[in-house]
Amino acid sequence: MTSSTKRIAINIGSGYVPGLDFVVAGAALAADQLGTELFGIRDGYDGLLYPDRYPKGGLVQLRPDIAQAAGHGGSLIGTAARTDPFHVRSLGADNEVEELDRADDVLKALKGAGIEAVISLVGGSAVTGLHALSVAFKLHRRGLRTVCIPKSAENDIAAVPQAFGYNSVLSHTAQALEQIRNGALDIGRIAVVEVPGQHSGWLALQSGLAALANVILIPEIPYDLARVASQLAVQAKAGNRPALVVVAEGARPAAPLQPLDEEPGGLRASLAPNADLSLGEGEHIIDRSGAAASAVATELQRLTNEETLPFSLGHLVRGGAPTSVDRQLGLAYGARAVRALQEGENGVMVVFDPPKMWMTPLQETLRQVRTVQVVSEVMQAARDLGIAFGDGR
Amino acid sequence: MSLSSGADGKPLTGIVLNIQHFCTNDGPGIRTNVFLKGCSNRCKWCCNPESIKFKPELAYNLGKCIGTKECGRCLTECPESAIYVVESDGKVRINWDLCTNCGKCVSVCPSEALYEFGRPMTVAEVLDEVQGDQSFYDESGGGITLSGGECTAQPDFSAALLAEAHRRGINTAIETAGNVRWEWFRQVVEHADVVLHDHKATDREMHKKWVGTDNTRILDNFRKAYEAFPDKTFIARTPVIPGINDNEDHVRAVLAFIRPYKNVIDYQLLPYHRYGEGKYGFLGRVYELRDFPFVPSETMHCLQRIIDEAFGRTGNPAGNLQT
Repeated sequence: MTSSTKRIAINIGSGYVPGLDFVVAGAALAADQLGTELFGIRDGYDGLLYPDRYPKGGLVQLRPDIAQAAGHGGSLIGTAARTDPFHVRSLGADNEVEELDRADDVLKALKGAGIEAVISLVGGSAVTGLHALSVAFKLHRRGLRTVCIPKSAENDIAAVPQAFGYNSVLSHTAQALEQIRNGALDIGRIAVVEVPGQHSGWLALQSGLAALANVILIPEIPYDLARVASQLAVQAKAGNRPALVVVAEGARPAAPLQPLDEEPGGLRASLAPNADLSLGEGEHIIDRSGAAASAVATELQRLTNEETLPFSLGHLVRGGAPTSVDRQLGLAYGARAVRALQEGENGVMVVFDPPKMWMTPLQETLRQVRTVQVVSEVMQAARDLGIAFGDGR
Repeated sequence: MSLSSGADGKPLTGIVLNIQHFCTNDGPGIRTNVFLKGCSNRCKWCCNPESIKFKPELAYNLGKCIGTKECGRCLTECPESAIYVVESDGKVRINWDLCTNCGKCVSVCPSEALYEFGRPMTVAEVLDEVQGDQSFYDESGGGITLSGGECTAQPDFSAALLAEAHRRGINTAIETAGNVRWEWFRQVVEHADVVLHDHKATDREMHKKWVGTDNTRILDNFRKAYEAFPDKTFIARTPVIPGINDNEDHVRAVLAFIRPYKNVIDYQLLPYHRYGEGKYGFLGRVYELRDFPFVPSETMHCLQRIIDEAFGRTGNPAGNLQT
């Protein structure tokens, strides 16, 4: 099926990865080829909700020459760092904070500009990434023609083998790990490095493999640091001095590392009811960057009697220039999304697993997270290399 | 029609978040804190994020989920596709952006991993529970304290609750940040014996940035209340947040505001804490001040000394510091 879509827009949801402009450039080049006008929405949806903030307009026309500007690693049209059109925080007439649903204003502004469909770059399961995907899904349910492009620093989007940006983040992470490992070896310490990965350990696993880590701790395998310590001792005895432990930020111990620090009740209960530690934990209870590395480093130092050095890579590896793999992925994703709209697609995500490209319904990508298969050939290969995963195997 | 009934004659209900017994930091004696849901401010350091919205809302305790192999009922019950599975642990997660708080998942969760913060309660229901602590009030001079959220943002219910508490001989106090229209504020303060009220930031722009609202009306309300209720006890308080109001200028500005009024008997400092951080996880939200340090005790003591001097107190300089 084909349609005569004449004017489309592109925006970038929250969650930064390197090389976002390559996707935009791919869409601009393809739009030009296919006879469609492409507009960029500034800063997610802010360009539509707050046009007064943009002297050059909240919507900017994107021409093929934008491809010349891509490559510095940033995003020319900006990303949706804060605004969620379904919950726009504002002050009411009575000075009370309220969250307004302004999604209809977004749709109205698009219609007013003659824009028939939107391409959205959206992420996976990390708090902000899932948010962007959900916003796109809800706008689609309100009637907006939508095609999404997957981007993720953690490669955790269900039904998507290779999200845009992951290869660059992986490359930056592996490079940082190798540098840290070399330094740790020289000064005789064990570096404990936290890398992105709330639910999915792909980045920790693949970067840890590339940097020849001694230990990789991922969310998929609850770890026991006593076992890790004994495996490190075996490695050291065999002449492989331990220097690098990679920890995904969502990695969890099989049993809590710290005993409860106080009894329920008391000042905690008086100031913050429902916060007793005995009640258990929420989904993102540890969101503080570096908390996972810090906890592991402290306990491992106690168990091994070796000095440990905690690091957190966090946003450091999400910036910088994209790799060649991501450059071609980005251009292809952008181009395919434009063609998908021309073919009448709606409510789908473009999936690229070279050489194949296909569409998957947005709802499928929301239902689960792409995690590491604990029993798999890649895991076995890592174990055969002597890498420990904290489960004693 | 009594205060405890609405215009339709039905018992008044409020959205109650929690009833916390044996509290000692929220007014005189041993107290029972009744936390009401709904707030008109958005303090970035909020330690009760589950109290912000006015309606009951979904919470999820990952540790209690028994997983989709054993259960998975919530997946089929959710009409919004807002629940998904993480295969590595077999447990569900909530897509908070898609969740509409319909509560259908709560009704089918056998392990209470999915539950709701907040429930409607009548004045009588609240006070029947509160009155169980009467003997402690008698011994200590304590009573009931309405907290939140912002208790004055449910003015009819709060006023009725406090009035009925008085009728039952219970001492009353409120904790308020004062950001409501004056009529509501006055309606509730009228029935409180003690008014613990927050001066979070004195600078208007700072207040907008960190509390989310203009403080002009708040300060007007406080000033009017001091003047309208000369026989009530007012206690000013500041949650001391590093880099925001942990300075002499703020403390002196608050003192200059309150000292002309003899019914403001004290100014208390509450050190910044992160007790509420974990609860953001139950609600799928991110605690924005997660990397903020605690305020050094030396700073707290310096600020406390300024207050003690202003109130003409001598002796242990930190004797009045809330810890």
